[in-house]
Amino acid sequence: MGGSGSRLSKELLAEYQDLTFLTKQEIVQAHRRFSELLPRDKQNVEDSLRERVSFEDILSIPELKANPFKERICKVFSTAPSRDSLSFEDFLDLLSVFSDTATPDIKSHYAFRIFDFDDDGTLDREDLCRLVNCLTGEGEDTQLSASEMKQLIDNILEESDIDRDGTINLSEFQHVISRSPDFVSSFKIVL
Amino acid sequence: MLHQWSAQSGQTPREPGHLPESEDLWEQEMEWLRASREPLRSLPYAMMDKRLIRKMREPEGMQMTRWQCWQQKQQTMGQRLGEVARRLAWGFGLWKGALYEIGGLFGSGIRSYFTFLRFLLLLNLLTVLLTASFVLVPLAWLHTQGPGPTLNFTLQCPGSHQAQTYIPRFHNQLWNVLTGRAFNNTYLFYGAYWAGPESSSAYSIRLAYLLCPLACLLLCFCGILRRMMKGFLRRPGLGQDYGVPLSAKVFSSWDFCIHLRDAATIKKHEISNEFKVYLEECRRRQQVQQDTPTQRACRLLSYLRVNLLNACLVAGGISAIFWATKYSQDNKEESLFVVLQYLPPGVISLVNFLGPLLFMFLVQLESYPPSIEVNLILIWCVVLKLASLGMFSFSLGQTMLCIGRNKTSCETYGYNACDYQCWENSVGEELYKLIIFNFLLTVAFAFLVTLPRRLLVERFSGRFWTWLGREEFLVPKNVLDIVAGQTVTWMGLFYCPLLPLFQSIFLFLTFYIKKYTLLRNCRTPPRLFRASSSTFFFQLVLLLGLLLAAVPLGFVVSSTHSSWDCGLFTNYSAPWQVVQELVALRLPLSGQRALQYLSSHAFGLPLLWLLSHILTVCIAQSQANARAIHVLRKQLVWQVQEKWRLVEELSRLLQEPGSSESLIPDSPRFRASHPRFSGPGFWSPGSPGPESPARDPSTRTPPWLSSSYPGSRDSPGPRFRFPSGTEL
Repeated sequence: MGGSGSRLSKELLAEYQDLTFLTKQEIVQAHRRFSELLPRDKQNVEDSLRERVSFEDILSIPELKANPFKERICKVFSTAPSRDSLSFEDFLDLLSVFSDTATPDIKSHYAFRIFDFDDDGTLDREDLCRLVNCLTGEGEDTQLSASEMKQLIDNILEESDIDRDGTINLSEFQHVISRSPDFVSSFKIVL
Repeated sequence: MLHQWSAQSGQTPREPGHLPESEDLWEQEMEWLRASREPLRSLPYAMMDKRLIRKMREPEGMQMTRWQCWQQKQQTMGQRLGEVARRLAWGFGLWKGALYEIGGLFGSGIRSYFTFLRFLLLLNLLTVLLTASFVLVPLAWLHTQGPGPTLNFTLQCPGSHQAQTYIPRFHNQLWNVLTGRAFNNTYLFYGAYWAGPESSSAYSIRLAYLLCPLACLLLCFCGILRRMMKGFLRRPGLGQDYGVPLSAKVFSSWDFCIHLRDAATIKKHEISNEFKVYLEECRRRQQVQQDTPTQRACRLLSYLRVNLLNACLVAGGISAIFWATKYSQDNKEESLFVVLQYLPPGVISLVNFLGPLLFMFLVQLESYPPSIEVNLILIWCVVLKLASLGMFSFSLGQTMLCIGRNKTSCETYGYNACDYQCWENSVGEELYKLIIFNFLLTVAFAFLVTLPRRLLVERFSGRFWTWLGREEFLVPKNVLDIVAGQTVTWMGLFYCPLLPLFQSIFLFLTFYIKKYTLLRNCRTPPRLFRASSSTFFFQLVLLLGLLLAAVPLGFVVSSTHSSWDCGLFTNYSAPWQVVQELVALRLPLSGQRALQYLSSHAFGLPLLWLLSHILTVCIAQSQANARAIHVLRKQLVWQVQEKWRLVEELSRLLQEPGSSESLIPDSPRFRASHPRFSGPGFWSPGSPGPESPARDPSTRTPPWLSSSYPGSRDSPGPRFRFPSGTEL
């Protein structure tokens, strides 16, 4: 498969390096992995930049397969009108935010969007409930009971809802996440 | 499209019922994006939006001046260099694949142990490089080979200790290597170094040899501190408690590195456990607050009792080490010499093996909440480990330098010249044996304990074997082991300058042994061990180890008498004298006077005063900031309540008769009472009322944030768009 047909041009690479946090090798590898998800006849450079990959195919890559937030991640980064597929540039955006060198600000920004299950710009009780359920899994012994869930969410809102309106908005989220030194090192996906 | 809008900049299309405010805010956002110098890659927009913003910032028609072109090129080159430097600092990508595999299987908590190993390896290699380039290379270049040890002094040595020259030699080469005797006259140990008088050569080997360990320790100190601060809280909670709040833990609990289904299931179990434990502790804390004073006193007493018992255990352990070292040194000529050689390292390892088990047993007798239990056991393990090393070095000092006791043999020469012809070599050998023993113990445990355990557990299925299970990979225990090894290396920098080289080799092999053990023979511990708090903990313990190593070094360099007839500092009362001699020899008079002034009280006291003044100002500033934050929080809550009160008033006004005309979209009353619009055309964010979680569409207001979201999210169409009149 080698040859110039499957390689990105130098200008394009430089542009991507400018617009994302990825290094050249990471961009090239991302392109290779993305092309593998496309159908055989569309794996050349021009088509790979235009085509979109459906969610089922993207969610099959090992880095995302076991992630409880995989659907949310794809939905947040998708720029398709119906938000059900990812283009190569969306994929690069995804990897850029999850890369090693991304700033904590942009990571927390996108984390907020991923956790906002109903896409209304704030994290309310419903969102937090779904978040905790994603984290603890579906098993009977791991799921929290209703009273435990209520207590947990009450504590979370008590700590992070500064303006006491019952929801967590972006600034409050970023403020509370800055107190966690764990966040930047765990919010990483590397191909 | 944003593109179309910017093309007609200045001519905002007027649509019916278009609110003037949304346009202003839209313009404000665009203006901010255009004017800000923030790099494109850190803006939270999709790729095509970033391209549009870039085009907005530099319209195509504009000719970039040469200066701007050059500036941009410098910027990109700077970025590339930064990337390369970062890759180098991460160890040339050493073991990247292995770390990735471990992270994917076990999460970043356990992977942090291996990155810590890599960090220590780099530190040791750096130390070796420094030592080699400043001491060994000049030594080889100058080709100075001094006279061998001379014995032209007589001593009155009590007892039958005739044998200054008699050193038991074994015909077994392996034992010679393991005890360090084989390397006695090589550059591994202090004794083989020799240099002529200071006035004879331009490059002072003595100064280099003296300053190398100090410089290495300083570099390591800076490196550890920097790593510690990097992972530390970015903005510490001023005026709040210093722990990580629950919400931060919840939001950062998922480890996105995991990519295996089984590992994900385990992680979910861990997270669930953590939440349940936290809730349990909350309930317990509430119960505790309702305790009577008697119960509180009882609890305090039990806490004291546990800690007292642990302290007694530690005291017992370190006195065992003291006794063992003394016995081993006093009986050097015995026939059981072979065993006694390794008695101190053996006792240290035994104490450090039994100690944690006993701590765990004692602490679990009281029923503490799990987090306190874990922290308590950890603290005592650290104390035991470092105290045992400290006691080991103290007992060596006592035997060889008569610290803390009066012995006539030390009076003449300042060290125990009867028993030790070259005491630095002896100290170096002891530390060398300790390092070798630690490594052999690691290998032995991996292959003679963990591996058979796994084989037996897999083979048999009795109740005992299921209970035993595979060994857990305990990160704190492993970290303490390598920190102890590193502390010993640092202790030995003066006596055994090439010890870091051995330590590097051992660390390199330890990585592969531990990786094999983890992947094949271990299981993950049920308790979550967070990556970052562990990183901070590792660096802290390492820092303590470094300080522990620096204290004896400082003492030896400044106040002990070096060996009379071996090594570099034979004619000095203390190694630090070299510096004074060189200052007197080489520096001009003005330089000498300047140095004298800098080290006198006249400089030190004002400096101290200035530093304490700065510290006071910083503390006062931080307290004032904490108060300001408190006031601002209250103000924010009040303002949001005020806003909702106004909204309720307005909706009440709507109910009044004569409000039908306000439902016409164009009327000013409508606009005033329906302040609903979205940002640069994306999903309308809302924040419900303070008490009612129910969403009331007429009372939605957008939280206008400077870093707002771009793009349309809940309706198809172009990405940036105006809110049209039909929406309002």
